Amino acid sequence: MSENFAERWAELPHLLSGHVLLSLAAICVGMAISVPLGIYAAPRPRLAGSVLNIAGVIQTIPGLALLALMVPLLGGMIGYWPAFLALMLYSILPILRNTIVGLQGVDAGVREAARGLGMTPSQRLWRVELPLSLPVIVAGLRTSVVWVVGAATLATPVGASSLGNYIFAGLQTRNWLSVLFGCVFAAGLAILLDQMIRLLEIAARQRRRGLAGGVAIALGLVVGLSLLPILVPASSPASAPAASHDNSGDVPAGLAGQTISIGAKAFTEQYILAALMQDVLEEAGAVVERRDNLGSTIAYDALRSGEIDVYIDYTGTIWATVMQRPQAAQRDLMLAEMTAWLHTRDGVLTLGRLGFENAYGFAMTRARADELGVVSLADLAGLAGDLTVGGDPEVFVRSEWIGTRDAYGLGAMRTRAMDSTFMYGAVRDGQVDLISAYTTDGRIAAYDLVVLDDPAHILPPYDAVILLSARAAAMPGLAEALAPLVGAIDGDAMRGANRLVDLEHQTPAQAAAWLATRLGDE
Amino acid sequence: MIDPPPTVLETRQVTKTYPGDIRAVAGVDLILKRGQMLALAGTSGCGKTTMLKLINRLEETSGGSILYEGEDIAALDPVVLRRSIGWVMQGDGLFPHYTVAANIAIVPRLLGWDQAAIDARVREMLELVRLDFVEFADRYPDALSGGQRQRVGFARALAGKPDLLLMDEPFGALDPITRDGLQQDFMALQAQLGFSALMVTHDMAEALIMADQVAVMRDGLIVQCGTPAQLLKSPADAYVAALLDTPRRQIRRIAELEA
Repeated sequence: MSENFAERWAELPHLLSGHVLLSLAAICVGMAISVPLGIYAAPRPRLAGSVLNIAGVIQTIPGLALLALMVPLLGGMIGYWPAFLALMLYSILPILRNTIVGLQGVDAGVREAARGLGMTPSQRLWRVELPLSLPVIVAGLRTSVVWVVGAATLATPVGASSLGNYIFAGLQTRNWLSVLFGCVFAAGLAILLDQMIRLLEIAARQRRRGLAGGVAIALGLVVGLSLLPILVPASSPASAPAASHDNSGDVPAGLAGQTISIGAKAFTEQYILAALMQDVLEEAGAVVERRDNLGSTIAYDALRSGEIDVYIDYTGTIWATVMQRPQAAQRDLMLAEMTAWLHTRDGVLTLGRLGFENAYGFAMTRARADELGVVSLADLAGLAGDLTVGGDPEVFVRSEWIGTRDAYGLGAMRTRAMDSTFMYGAVRDGQVDLISAYTTDGRIAAYDLVVLDDPAHILPPYDAVILLSARAAAMPGLAEALAPLVGAIDGDAMRGANRLVDLEHQTPAQAAAWLATRLGDE
Repeated sequence: MIDPPPTVLETRQVTKTYPGDIRAVAGVDLILKRGQMLALAGTSGCGKTTMLKLINRLEETSGGSILYEGEDIAALDPVVLRRSIGWVMQGDGLFPHYTVAANIAIVPRLLGWDQAAIDARVREMLELVRLDFVEFADRYPDALSGGQRQRVGFARALAGKPDLLLMDEPFGALDPITRDGLQQDFMALQAQLGFSALMVTHDMAEALIMADQVAVMRDGLIVQCGTPAQLLKSPADAYVAALLDTPRRQIRRIAELEA
């Protein structure tokens, strides 16, 4: 537990600075847009109504969806900019609304006095209207800060580093201390910034220069300290690969000094394989950047646009979600066609199968299967009305579930979407009867689950493959460096590694090290 | 009189029509001589406040012309015009986020006076409206009584040394004793400084006591204009007579009670 704490603590400077940079930039730009817009709209009631409606609609889009939408809108770009843009849009409403309400609420007599005394429109704005509506505008700013700092934790799936990394990774690897870290620091940051703005406003209203200066310095310190890891070029990650490079004589040297970005989707197996590739590439002298917790299809978009260089995906997933093929195909044909298709359209190189398959398979507890007398999906047809199937939110809209449901007559079955990390426990405890398990998950064996047969061959094959972006494919030495992984990880090895993380609370890096010792060990 | 005082303000057939063909002002002629006070009296909604706002161009006329110091105000920059005219509004209209001193300094500051001149003027104005500088200069308006606020309102309106003061019901929100004291002080102030004033009021007694000329307005038109004595002697119509009757009746009633 204390080792876990030390590891989480070590991640803090990087994640906190990412979080601060993202949310403060979003709020500053949001304020630079919404305050002038509010000033312009306040005396124009129809315009004010329209802009508030638009900002209100943006606000009602769930934060995660708004962030995810920015990725296709920016042409597949992932990372800082889509997250920044979504959070900036998110910050607008409270500030805009309060600017308009605050300005409209300035006493009509005072407003007329300002005109009657001979103030110009800009003098009226700066000397009378803005100062008098400041408390209302600041209240909007504070709301915005709390929202944006909270919503910035959702930037993780689009590839921006934030305190959300703690939450997403912790959720997937059942590391609750990590989730707690994310919550505590995100909430603490929100409260700290909120209170500092409150003090600044009090200082401004009571004209207390000392207090204003003190708070400004404290705010500067907080922001400066949290941004330090970004502002000062990090020395430790750069020196690590150099050190390992010294004692590795027999690896291809073409990658020395190259920066390679490894992507990973948000589940255990992906973290382990990304860590494994990181070890291999750093061994070869490359400088590795990790982009963990990418949304399932965001990962491919990011590879296609060159935001990441390499990641692991699965043939069946690419087939259904990228190539949009409704029907599964034979395993080798699928791989061959996919390889050609990805290369032709996107210049993406399919390096080869790792050697294991992580398919969707419908699983139940052995006891429940025996009780119902079920061994294959075909046996469920008559029972469907009494059963509930759990799965990740993605599967129920994918052709795997839709095809299975239609082929085996499971239309009457109730579906319950949940995060994949919870579904194994849910089926074990009888909260659902059936789950769309991932066949490499260590919990299938640990919880004595059985994967039901698929006699109609509806579920496509899911061979894990290494995908390289066009840029990475052209990089000398990269494919060679990763080649030892191809065909070297079988299902047992992958299940074993997943199990170390999911059930034995090891870190993905530890599991990757264990997996490295078993490469090609069939 | 061989040398009559010059005209400060003259309005010629001024009209103001609002959308929907509502005529607030329907052709008004007024003349205000230097150093005098003209009271514009009438019941609510007769157009007297609108008339006042046309003069410093808080509203624009629909027809006719207004001459200030002989110049047509339509040709002047409204901001420059307003800085040269003092403005005392209904309620006090003080800036709640400015101290008393800062409120009084607004127009001198807008006129670009240097700081020493502004400070001296603030002291002088507080003294003129009989508020102690040390006690009041740094207070905010919410720490003043109604009468004190209105005194600051006068000081603010006169701080830029205007030739003309426009006042909209300046004593309307005050209790009778405070009002009486302030009216007396105001008349002394006008005698001392020599500015001209146009005051809108619905209180006929106030108009008769304070003004050199009283113009009675009804439905956007001037029904009678003259000295208080002329009005009392020969009211032009039943409306004017009715307006004059109220203070008369009150005085008679009080006299009867005292007898």
